[in-house]
Amino acid sequence: MYRNENGQSLPSVNNDSDALIRGLRAMDAPEPRPGFVDRALANATGVAAGRRTLDRAPATGRGWRHVAMCWETWLGAVMGGAVAAAVTVVLMSPARPHQGEQAIALALNEARSIDVLIESDRDLQDATIRIAVTGGVALDGFANDHIADWRANLGRGPNLLSLPVIARKAGDGQLVAVVEHDGKTRTVMINLTVSDSSARS
Amino acid sequence: MSRMAWPKSDKSRTSAAGEFDGLMREHVPALYRSAFRWTGAVDRAEDLVQDLLVRLYPMHDELQRLDKVRPWAMRVMYRIFVDQLRRERSSPLQFGIDPADADAAGEEDHGFADPAAGPPELAEQQITRQRIAAAWTLLAEEHRVVLSMHDIEGYSLVELAAIMEIPLGTLKSRLHRARAKLRELLATERFE
Repeated sequence: MYRNENGQSLPSVNNDSDALIRGLRAMDAPEPRPGFVDRALANATGVAAGRRTLDRAPATGRGWRHVAMCWETWLGAVMGGAVAAAVTVVLMSPARPHQGEQAIALALNEARSIDVLIESDRDLQDATIRIAVTGGVALDGFANDHIADWRANLGRGPNLLSLPVIARKAGDGQLVAVVEHDGKTRTVMINLTVSDSSARS
Repeated sequence: MSRMAWPKSDKSRTSAAGEFDGLMREHVPALYRSAFRWTGAVDRAEDLVQDLLVRLYPMHDELQRLDKVRPWAMRVMYRIFVDQLRRERSSPLQFGIDPADADAAGEEDHGFADPAAGPPELAEQQITRQRIAAAWTLLAEEHRVVLSMHDIEGYSLVELAAIMEIPLGTLKSRLHRARAKLRELLATERFE
C-alpha cells in the first residue's frame, strides 16, 4: 500500500501504465516560507500582537484591499444564500432609504458613533455580531485590528448598535456589519470616506 | 428600542480566534501543498491559503459543526482558485477545453541530474522526478487540480466531484485528459 502525505493508505501501482501516478506521488512540494502557518492564521483572525502582518506584497498585488475583497466575496456569497427572515439590519445615521450603498464622510482623526439598527421579529439568543473595517478607519477598543466579533442576544423589535469608529487615515474605507443566527445572516455595508481636512463641522 | 452593548475588549474575538486556530492549524500544511500543486508557485500558494483562511474565519462556528473540515475547506479553496483564474484571464473559464500547448522544443533544460553524481538507479529516479516536475509546470491549472487531488492526495472520484461541484462523468473525462496531456508533455521532452 502507498501512504500519502496525509497519512492515508492508497493502493500501490505496480504496472508500467501507472508509472505516471507513481511519479506524481513522488513529486515534492517545496515548503512555504518560514512562519507561514502562524502568519496565515494570525492574519485571518487579526490576532498577531494586535495587528495584521504582511511580510511582502501579495503576489497578485491586492495589498490592503485584501480584507475588503475577501469580505466582499464572502458577503456576496452569503447574501446570495440563505437570508434571515427574522432580522433586518439598516444604517441609521445618516438615514438612508436603501441598504448596501451607505456613505459617511469623516474628517481625519474624527471619532464618531455609527448607529446600526437591527430589527428582529422575535427574541434571538446567542446571535453573532461581526464588524469589519477597511481603509483608514479603526474600531475603538480594538487597536489596529480590522475585525471584531462577539455574541449577543437580540430582543424582539429594534436593537440599536452604536459602533465607535475612529478615522485614522485619509482615503476610502468600508464598514461591514453582519448579524448571524442559526446559520442565517444579514448584512449592511457602509462606505466611509476620510478627508484630510482641518475644517470640521 | 434596545441599545446593544459594544464589547470593551477583544476577549471574545480572541477566544474565537483561538478556536479557529485549533480547528484549522493541522490542515494548513496540506492545504498549502494542494495550493502549490494547483498554482505552481510558493507565493501564489501562500496567497491562496491566506485568502481561504480569511474567508473561513467568519464561518468558524459552522466549521466546528462539520464532521470533516478538510474536504469542505478544499471545496472553498477550489472556488477561490477558479475565481482568481477567471479574473486573471479576464474571460469566462472554459473547463474542458485544453489550452494551447507550450512549445516544448523551445524550453530550457530543466536540470537533468548528472548520472555520475550517484548510483544509476537513484539518478534515474531523480531524472524522472525532475521531468515530471518540469512537465507539471506546463500543465493547465485545471489539469493540475484533478491530478493533484485524485492521483497524489487520494480523493476518490465521488469526493472530488463533490469538491469541484461537477458531474462524475465530466470529472472522469477531465482526469483522463489531464493524464494524457502529462504523458504527451513527458514524451515530447524525451525525444528532444
